Amino acid sequence: MSTPTKLTRAISVIAHVDHGKTTLSDRLLEYTGTVAPRDMVEQVLDQLDLERERGITIKAQAVRMLYKADDGQTYQINLIDTPGHVDFSYEVSRALAACDGAILVVDASQGIEAQTLANVHQALEHNLKIVPVVNKIDLPQADPELVREEIEKVIGLPAESVIFASARQGIGTKEILEAVVREVPPPTGDPTAPLRALIFDAKFDAYRGVVTYVRVLEGTLRKGVRAQMMQTGKSFEVDEVGIFRPERTPVDDLSAGEVGYLIANIRNVRDSRVGDTVTDAARPASAPLPGYRHVTPMVFAGLFPTDTEQYQQLKEALEKLQLNDAALVYEPETSAALGFGFRCGFLGLLHMEIVQERLEREFNLTLLGTAPTVEYRVRLRNGEEVPVDNPDHLPSPSEIESISEPIVLATIVVPSVYVGNMMQLSQERRGQYLNTVYEPGDRVVLTYRMPLAEIIHDYYDQLKSRSKGYASLDYELVGFEEANLVKLDVLVGGSPVDALSMIVDRSKAQQQGRRLAEKLKTLIPRQLFEVPIQAAIGGKIVARETVPAMRKDVTAKCYGGDVTRKRKLLEKQKEGKKRLKRVGNVEIPQEAFMAVLSLD
Amino acid sequence: MERIHSLYLHVPFCTWVCKYCDFNAYAVLEGLIPPYVDALAREIDLAAAELPIGPFDTVFIGGGTPSLLRSAQLHQVLDRVRAIGMAPGAEITLEANPSNVTSEQVDGWLEAGVNRLSVGVQSLQPDALRFLERLHSGTDAIAALRTARAGGFSNINADLLYGVPGVNLAGWLETLDAVLAAGVQHLSAYELTVESKTRLGQEVRTGLVRMPGDDEQLAQYWAAAERLQTSGYEHYEISNWSLPGFACRHNLAAWHYQPYLGCGAGAHSMFRRSDRSTERRWNVKGPHAYIKQASTSGHAVAGSEALSPERALGEAAMIGVRLLDGTTAARDFPAQRTQLVNAGLLAEHDGAVRLTRRGIELANQIGAMFLA
Repeated sequence: MSTPTKLTRAISVIAHVDHGKTTLSDRLLEYTGTVAPRDMVEQVLDQLDLERERGITIKAQAVRMLYKADDGQTYQINLIDTPGHVDFSYEVSRALAACDGAILVVDASQGIEAQTLANVHQALEHNLKIVPVVNKIDLPQADPELVREEIEKVIGLPAESVIFASARQGIGTKEILEAVVREVPPPTGDPTAPLRALIFDAKFDAYRGVVTYVRVLEGTLRKGVRAQMMQTGKSFEVDEVGIFRPERTPVDDLSAGEVGYLIANIRNVRDSRVGDTVTDAARPASAPLPGYRHVTPMVFAGLFPTDTEQYQQLKEALEKLQLNDAALVYEPETSAALGFGFRCGFLGLLHMEIVQERLEREFNLTLLGTAPTVEYRVRLRNGEEVPVDNPDHLPSPSEIESISEPIVLATIVVPSVYVGNMMQLSQERRGQYLNTVYEPGDRVVLTYRMPLAEIIHDYYDQLKSRSKGYASLDYELVGFEEANLVKLDVLVGGSPVDALSMIVDRSKAQQQGRRLAEKLKTLIPRQLFEVPIQAAIGGKIVARETVPAMRKDVTAKCYGGDVTRKRKLLEKQKEGKKRLKRVGNVEIPQEAFMAVLSLD
Repeated sequence: MERIHSLYLHVPFCTWVCKYCDFNAYAVLEGLIPPYVDALAREIDLAAAELPIGPFDTVFIGGGTPSLLRSAQLHQVLDRVRAIGMAPGAEITLEANPSNVTSEQVDGWLEAGVNRLSVGVQSLQPDALRFLERLHSGTDAIAALRTARAGGFSNINADLLYGVPGVNLAGWLETLDAVLAAGVQHLSAYELTVESKTRLGQEVRTGLVRMPGDDEQLAQYWAAAERLQTSGYEHYEISNWSLPGFACRHNLAAWHYQPYLGCGAGAHSMFRRSDRSTERRWNVKGPHAYIKQASTSGHAVAGSEALSPERALGEAAMIGVRLLDGTTAARDFPAQRTQLVNAGLLAEHDGAVRLTRRGIELANQIGAMFLA
């Protein structure tokens, strides 16, 4: 059943997180009969348990729908669902590269937010036709007219093109599908030209190896051809090509404009790089398609097994997880305090949290994560430049010529009444004010240049709490800048704890040291003896707190019948202690290692 | 299986269940006492047929309020025990509520064979008794101790509670002195513990009641310990003191990790197999269910747990360390011992270890170290 190219469409759904993209995708699947009502579960396209539990999309997903339009023709619509969280914006960028159009979903009560803008900019960069949708119009606080006006003024899409919808109630689904077939252009590629297919995702399947998600832009991809990866030069015999409906369904071929997958006995996702171009080794294309921006980890943290015997298991778990998560990078790390573990690079804090949770849940590990940090670039007096993604590895001050830190361009969208708060917060966080734009609907877009290190330290939570939850944030890395930074060390019970070291702005170092010591005092449970906590800069103690010794822990009665209960109680306490890491004589809980994240 | 020489009998009935109590006790079910006693007798009979028990060195009748039993009922139960075998000089303890201690009752208990009486005095302060929901007065309690002694009991214990909200150090010592003056041979002083599933637990959770802080509780504890010591009482377990020769043999056996049989609703038993593994089992808790099961089948076991020899060793050390004379039960934990001795929580002597003053205050931390 092949569809003429002019009846093929490839679209993505883009939106700020929580504006209802995944629910809208569910409705489209239902309306087009792609998923039978009896098989319909919420968030059909979210396959990870974590995605369903948290109600978020982490991985992009693809599906092919058939839609009989009002013009009597049956269209093939390829839909790629994308994540909305800023951490996963690279997933959006890959998905958009494989599309010709995008459905832009804006919440009727929230209006345009930071990631709405970021996603629209990306879509426009990829020359996509945008179908604007105001969603959740059934909510009591919805103001669809205002949001429609916003879309026209802020994004420049004509108000009359905006569709009102409620994905929850199925309102507007048909109008959206009609707009897609009418507005989004069909693919232009020539099915007889040499094959060029763009890889936009890859996934590891334990039985079949790597499943490569592709969009064929030119030529035709058939089973049996020798697929050649144009960047890596490696080639593989294609065992199967297919489409998503939404489960994998083999087909004979994928021709220009179509979205689907190929399986070619590829054992490592690294051989199926996102952004690479697949061609036919027997009749190769002359040039690859333009790729897209490489994924670089933004934050780094150590992951350590609380039980040292789980090191090997952690190593294997990371290997397996990485097969499905090309954005995750790691290398072995040794900490004097925490033992053997891995230094991992993540896209952002949510990505870090998710990786840790998946490792614990899917691989049955108990992990201790250290506070995330950015990657600094340190210029040494001998002229060498070294990257430092672990505060404890910062060379000694006498060797350092200068330290540069990553800088981002941060976009904050917020109701005007909170502008003052946002500016104050951003200034406290070493932000450099760039611009304010007032938009309709009492909405202000602020832009700042800001050290990434400040953003990962609680900035987002503060942004939310100081705007009653209304502010939204998007940011992108724009470069490195020299800064006056020092290393802050922490000593617990008299011994330095490497995993608690942090790199901070010199002018704030002493204050941060004091706050960190105070915070640790509240987080380190009372022990059998008194525990001093000290913060030091270059060997000079700048703060000291003391955790007093545990006063009393004794059960008054312990007779025959109480023994089982008492033993179970103590065993449970002991189990809880496994979450603690013994550093010297002192037991330190996981939260203490994250204390530096919330010092305000 | 190792022969069992200790027997615990549970009587789960009370006139009123005090708000801090989380024992297996029930109010307004006194009508069930006659069938309960029959069921208990039947359970004892059947145990004799199935388990290597007796002759008994110690029998402890606890509750609940076992002093609610009439002397004929007590007789009935103890006769069954004697039929199995009672060692010469066996210690037979009955727990009694001060309100039930009359001279007739005392005569009946002695006649039934009871030779140790444990009286639930708790406090002599009127405010504290009201707070604790005790139905007797301080005067009643002192009178009960005197009546027991006059009636012929020469081995009497008083249970007291310290750390009761509203009672300061002076008030607590006043209670203690008056109880000692009444001439007890044994004294148990328990910190008032807030158990989550009690009404007190609820009141503390909702902020209605504020418990004294750790420092206040420890101050009351150590002041009592000092007073008892100067009065000639030996501090032999964390919460227990006695005149020389009057330590509770029944409880000592359990703290020395000796096996025991428990009969009655919710009672626990501990058996030791020949491979040194340990089995704990417990009966159904509710009196209705207990009566039904025990009187039909003679069994009322609700569950059991087998402990490997290693886990049993840990448990033995956890309990044994509570004995202040020291214990050898921790001999299989050299690493933990060294650590605890270095931390000043345990002191070593002659291959045994005993809690230091600081160790007593943190006994749970120590116990936990012996568990897997």
